[in-house]
Amino acid sequence: MLETYSIEDFYDEMMADVRKPRPHYEKFHRILLEMNQEELHEKHETAQLSFLRQGITFTVYHEEGGTERTMPFDFVPVIIDDEQWSGIEAGIKQRVRALNLFLEDVYNEGRILHEGIVPRGVVENNQYFYRKQAGGFEVPNDNRIFLAGIDLIRGDEGVYRVLEDNLRNPSGLSYVYQNRFVMRKVFPEFFFEHDIRTLEHQMSHLHEALLSHVPENSPSKNAPQAVLLTPGMYNSAYYDHVFLAQQMGIELVEGRDLLVKDKAVYMKTVRGLQRVDIIYRRIDDDFIDPEEFNPDSELGVPGLMEAYRNGNVAILNGVGNGVADDKEIYAYVPEMIRFYLGEEPMIPNVDTYFLRDEDVRRDVLGRLEELVVKNVGASGGYDMLIGPQASPEQIELFKQKIEETPEQYIAQPTIQLSRAPAFQKKRFYPCHVDLRVFAVGGDDFHVLPGGLTRVALKEGSLVVNSSQGGGGKDTWVLKKGAVPNA
Amino acid sequence: MLSRVAASLFWMARNMERAESNARVLESRLINALESSEYGKLATDDWEAVLEICSSVTEYRSMYDACEARPIAQYITFDARNINSIVNCLENARHNARSVRDNIPEELWELLNEQYLTLRDEEFYAWSIRDIQAFLQQTKRLSFMIQGVIESSMLREEPYHFIKVGKWIERAEKTARVLNVVCEKTTQLKEETQTDHYYYWLSALQFLNGYDAYLKRFPPTMEPKHVLPFLVSYEQFPRSIEYCMDHVREAVMQLEGGKVSHYSEELFQALDHVTDEFVKMKFQQMDSADIGPFLDRFQNDCNRLASVFASTYYFV
Repeated sequence: MLETYSIEDFYDEMMADVRKPRPHYEKFHRILLEMNQEELHEKHETAQLSFLRQGITFTVYHEEGGTERTMPFDFVPVIIDDEQWSGIEAGIKQRVRALNLFLEDVYNEGRILHEGIVPRGVVENNQYFYRKQAGGFEVPNDNRIFLAGIDLIRGDEGVYRVLEDNLRNPSGLSYVYQNRFVMRKVFPEFFFEHDIRTLEHQMSHLHEALLSHVPENSPSKNAPQAVLLTPGMYNSAYYDHVFLAQQMGIELVEGRDLLVKDKAVYMKTVRGLQRVDIIYRRIDDDFIDPEEFNPDSELGVPGLMEAYRNGNVAILNGVGNGVADDKEIYAYVPEMIRFYLGEEPMIPNVDTYFLRDEDVRRDVLGRLEELVVKNVGASGGYDMLIGPQASPEQIELFKQKIEETPEQYIAQPTIQLSRAPAFQKKRFYPCHVDLRVFAVGGDDFHVLPGGLTRVALKEGSLVVNSSQGGGGKDTWVLKKGAVPNA
Repeated sequence: MLSRVAASLFWMARNMERAESNARVLESRLINALESSEYGKLATDDWEAVLEICSSVTEYRSMYDACEARPIAQYITFDARNINSIVNCLENARHNARSVRDNIPEELWELLNEQYLTLRDEEFYAWSIRDIQAFLQQTKRLSFMIQGVIESSMLREEPYHFIKVGKWIERAEKTARVLNVVCEKTTQLKEETQTDHYYYWLSALQFLNGYDAYLKRFPPTMEPKHVLPFLVSYEQFPRSIEYCMDHVREAVMQLEGGKVSHYSEELFQALDHVTDEFVKMKFQQMDSADIGPFLDRFQNDCNRLASVFASTYYFV
């Protein structure tokens, strides 16, 4: 079945070489070989259908409106052994802790700016830096990161690196659960012999962490009322919102369900107004409060920010977190870790070149065909150049863009993303993958075992984003001792 | 519970109930059409009655010239311009359900979603009458399944009661509407031909799924003096107006823990008002001439009740 599968120069998650799986994939590999192509194809179809039937969809927008689509699911899981995972877990905790300290710092004293570790201009000119709205007051737990999604990749040498931090509204947690759920239902035979870390209790962690952010002036400190604020069902991540609200047992509210009265937030219930203490919002900063941000926003709640600053409501993730997760600040995260924690970063970054520097720019422009160029303000794989795969016209276009607004772009070496087998259309072929790991912040930081493996199902493609044809895989973390030392 | 959620549950139930009853009305008319002439005044009258029950004759006339089976069946079943077309009702119900997914059983959502997915790529205008009939059956079954899920798996808490109020108000209103149209048609026919016509009373029973039940209690002569009370106030018939209104009251009672509070006073008054009207009617000999004004009043009361209900719970 895997006879024609090729590895080439890439790091393959499953296969050590063409014939032999890596030790922690041995059992999976053996069970897989016992099945036949038809059987796998049938199961594959059942799995896709199950997502559609349950309405686990995201919305793609185009000229004629929106279409609900499912994220394609690929059943070959990414398996991570216990030792690797311990490294990831510790490294993610370290990183998120430093990022939170950075946020607390830049919205209060700004020590890191005084010391010149991060250039003042980089922070103050950042389009997501909201000093006026979100600075100069205490937030519950001194924590601004309730849920973070850190994207990891592995290059050809197999080392994990951080590709991107998502500290605003990282989506995809529902897929972690649904991928596992569908996997168990459709491919139970894979689970009999594997001892993997369960996701079962993670939701109660998440709920507890949420409730630990009781605002100072809450009238019900022992039983705070928490809600999840969604932009509504037309949002592309609506299913994620439904899932999280359901699993945590909190109300899923829209902006129009809330109002602010005397600097306190209330929701409109069938029994009248009810006080709200904690808001896990999945609305971007720009839309959250028309009085202080985009005045045309109909998704937000007028007066919300004032209630927040007065300690009458907690907003999670913190407003203004965007200053810590953009592509430019990213390059300074290793320095933040050294500065705040006095530690060496456990998970390295991908090298990043700033194009505002003239010498660097000249060097980069001279070898664009081997680099990746990204717009610091964009996300979702948009406005990005992948040198080795680009046409001469595209390279020329980016040359112009960089010359026009060099500060808007960064460049990185092209990482040969690791690959894993995917099974689509009745055959196995290698696809590039990355891994979004979720960290939860409450009194302390906690990392969910595994995460969402995103896979670029288009052969040869490096873009894993679901809006551009990416799919998902289940991610297994093996328990300690589950792999015999080979 | 959020008021927006309550409103969505209420409308989800109404839309589903409306889809089911419109499917049944159209289905029985299509079957009857097989046995009667498809042309002439009588046929036109019959189709008008169906249009009036399921949507609006005036609106239909503004879009189509021919008053015959195929265009009417299309209009009632899937015409996107008809806000009460069955397909629109189902889509609205799914839309309502989607916005309150965390408040309803997963199976309920899945049923509505599955129906939506199968309809998404349909070429409706290629449907034959037979295809439409199959779809009508399917719609009724969907409604039965959904009611089954609700009854067998929902906690008897606020969301359940809001669903119930929506369902019973919609059903009561539909029964009143059927009766109104039938009374009017019967009166017209009587003036024109100077004889009594029982034919419409038979249709009314079929439209409301009461034909078999009626035959168990009454002679098969379709006398208005039997049919009318059966559909208006027969307490054992689950589509009689009185039965439905009793259940609206019961659901509201559950919501209010059996107590009348300051804020729900107006709602209870509105309910009492409807009940009083019934008591009055019961002591009168109902015939199709006096029932007209009663039904008009009832339909108004029903609208008022729904709007008082909405404002009591701050629907948006």
